[in-house]
Amino acid sequence: MEFGFTEEQEKLRKELRDFYVNELPEDYTPHITPVSEKLQSFYRQLQKKAGEKGYLTPGWPAEYGGKDLGSIEQGIAAEEQGNMGVVWPGTLAYRFLGPGLVMFGTEEQKKEFLPAIARGEQVWFEAFTEPEAGTDEANQRTWAVEDGDDYIVNGQKTFISGGYEPDWLVTEVRTADTTPKHRGLSLLMIKADSPGITIRPLPTMGFGIQNDIFYDNVRVPKKNMLGQLNRGFYHVMQIFDFERSGTEAPAHAKRSLHEFVQFCKEEQRNGRPLFDDPEVREKLAWMAVECEVWRLISWHAQWWHSERKQLGPKPYDLSGFFSKKFTTRHAEMRAEIMGTYGQLRKGSKHAKVVGHSVDVERAWQSSRSLHAAGTLEVNKIVLATRGLGLPRIPAKFNKEIMAAIQERKE
Amino acid sequence: MNFKLSEEQEMLKKTASDFLEKECPESFVREMEEDDDGYSPEVWLKIADLGWLGLVYPEEYGGTGGSFLDMAVLYEEMGRAMFPSPHLSTVVLCGLTILNAGSHEWKADLLPKIAKGDVIISLALTEPESSWNGRSWDPEGITVRATAAKDNYIIDGTKLFVHDAHIAGYLLCVTRTESGTRPEDGITLFLVDAKSPGVKCTLLETTAGDKQNEVIFDKVKVPKENMVGKLNGGWAPLARVLQQGAVLLCAEMVGAGQRILELTTDYAKTRIQFDMPIGINQYVQEHCVNLLSEVEGARWLTYQAAWKISEGLPCDYEVAMAKAWASDGHERACWYAHQVHAGVGYAIDAGLLPLYSRRGKTLKYYLGDTLHHLRKVAEQMDEWPSPQKTKGKPLGIWNIPEDKQVPVWQPWRERYDKIEKRKEERRKRKI
Repeated sequence: MEFGFTEEQEKLRKELRDFYVNELPEDYTPHITPVSEKLQSFYRQLQKKAGEKGYLTPGWPAEYGGKDLGSIEQGIAAEEQGNMGVVWPGTLAYRFLGPGLVMFGTEEQKKEFLPAIARGEQVWFEAFTEPEAGTDEANQRTWAVEDGDDYIVNGQKTFISGGYEPDWLVTEVRTADTTPKHRGLSLLMIKADSPGITIRPLPTMGFGIQNDIFYDNVRVPKKNMLGQLNRGFYHVMQIFDFERSGTEAPAHAKRSLHEFVQFCKEEQRNGRPLFDDPEVREKLAWMAVECEVWRLISWHAQWWHSERKQLGPKPYDLSGFFSKKFTTRHAEMRAEIMGTYGQLRKGSKHAKVVGHSVDVERAWQSSRSLHAAGTLEVNKIVLATRGLGLPRIPAKFNKEIMAAIQERKE
Repeated sequence: MNFKLSEEQEMLKKTASDFLEKECPESFVREMEEDDDGYSPEVWLKIADLGWLGLVYPEEYGGTGGSFLDMAVLYEEMGRAMFPSPHLSTVVLCGLTILNAGSHEWKADLLPKIAKGDVIISLALTEPESSWNGRSWDPEGITVRATAAKDNYIIDGTKLFVHDAHIAGYLLCVTRTESGTRPEDGITLFLVDAKSPGVKCTLLETTAGDKQNEVIFDKVKVPKENMVGKLNGGWAPLARVLQQGAVLLCAEMVGAGQRILELTTDYAKTRIQFDMPIGINQYVQEHCVNLLSEVEGARWLTYQAAWKISEGLPCDYEVAMAKAWASDGHERACWYAHQVHAGVGYAIDAGLLPLYSRRGKTLKYYLGDTLHHLRKVAEQMDEWPSPQKTKGKPLGIWNIPEDKQVPVWQPWRERYDKIEKRKEERRKRKI
């Protein structure tokens, strides 16, 4: 066992940290949703700079724009990004979709897309969720119908994350009417400016920006299929595994806690620092313990990934579970410490936490929903059935249950 | 980063698990609960032969020079089997304190005896007044006086919740010899022959049925040579060992928790109600998953702390986090298991769960409960430096709330313009 890092790994970490410390403006606030031109262009430039140095994807093979290092180094890069809370335009591309491309893309696709992603030049969206396919991911109704060398795509996607104008939409589509329904899905990489695509804003309580996407007879070349025909559901589940794990989120939570502790040390209440209040201390100590559990569980997944050849697929990964649980808990505990000040929006008179610290009010709003890559409940069901081998209700009973409910209604 | 045990550690784990399966089945655990001594001298000698009693001692003192991480592996297995023995008291809490601070004579005399299984020693630390609200393990709680009298010290006072004192040859008594400026100053350790006149030991009745005692020291005379470590300097070497002990208790909870998880998921898969295994119900599944999360969290916090101790790295933060989480999590893990097992987990003679659950009570409080260790975590947070500041050229755009930023991306720009227009019209209407 070894819970530290090698000298080279520590060197890489320091290099990354120095890069961010020097590049990010001194009045920088982590994890603010970038909307304006100034902010977006700043992040785009910073991402390119980081990409050129190979800081986004040090774990990828050199031929695809990486540094030929391992999964641990990729984890370190993510940790340092999380520590700084940078909202990268290309996060989805190099964190979830890129690794997906490495696993099930064709050689041609890898050569075409991966280096551009690694250089931080592209914005990708994952367009999976539909109005009728939220938690029931396989219930996709966006059809892709063959037409010569192309597919014609029609349908609607919703709650699609991304605040930067996208280059590519990785879209989950139905390519066959099958039973079970998850065996007829595929993934298409669709150029975002293709004729027939409309994007509409879908404002939420969250930090992230989300959108509705409409496809009206969108023509997509067949070579843009990602992975195998009708295996799309399994590819999506793999991508979700990447999305649920990762060392970035716990690093960001730890940094947020660190900033908040500093705020509590500086903020005076009745002539004493807020941090001296025993109840505040207990809450903050709990948060520190939970950040550490979250960090270790995420590193366990990262390490497992690096040893995958020997260990096989990971039976279960708790990082998504902890991420969802602690995001809520920490947002609420911070808000409780802030008391009535916790309801003040950033920019308001008397708003307390400014500067580098996390926006307590917004973080609370954001934590009202934790649905990305499956709700907490879905995570629990996956852990219970896939991880612990508990039985699940066979899908064939669904119709009987619905019929029984209908009968009772009548 | 590497979360794998070494080959030797895997072997130790296997040996321990095989041995305990044979020597410490459920029936043995139940027997020992009813037994006045609470341990078996025969099995104690057998684990001496296996090298478990001298595992971390240097070879010159009859040990095998194993690492602390090895010890954690062993404790995980002992926790899994609920192995009743005075191992923690004798080998760890007292043995390691003597190794840290004792004179060469004491080390050369006692440590080989411990390693051979010839002596049992018990740590007399906690006291009646301080044994509430997580305060027992703070140095403030030490009030039992030791007063110098020629070549002796006279110890006077009561120690409470003293594990294994009833079978001990020696008691390592933590006394106050001076009221220092800080509570940890003025504490001195003495090895007291358990047969000394004035030592009175009474077994307590506990939830777990384990063997904790009240020990009254009624003007007990102890020779000066029996002092372990320096006069007034006993806390520092002891505190290190208390941390090590706390991590080993965590390892016990990990082992026990893993077994509880297995029992619970097995039960959920095989218990049939409404013509279906109960594990098909998502309420039941949720209990199992919560249980899993408590155990897995404890596992890696524990092994990280054990690794830090093994490597001789600073570990105050890691130890406190591990015991804070495990003490809290183990109790809840048992509770989740109880909910899944329902009546079956409640019936004392029927299965293992009541045994685990009741032992969990001891493990939770022993060497510091959640509250105590959260305080330690917060003390570490006092020392946190202010977070690193970024140094780039200021841009002056960061504190603009997002609904006040003019979006650059077309669909969002259109929405923004629409809202601004609406606001403008409303204002105009008011004029």
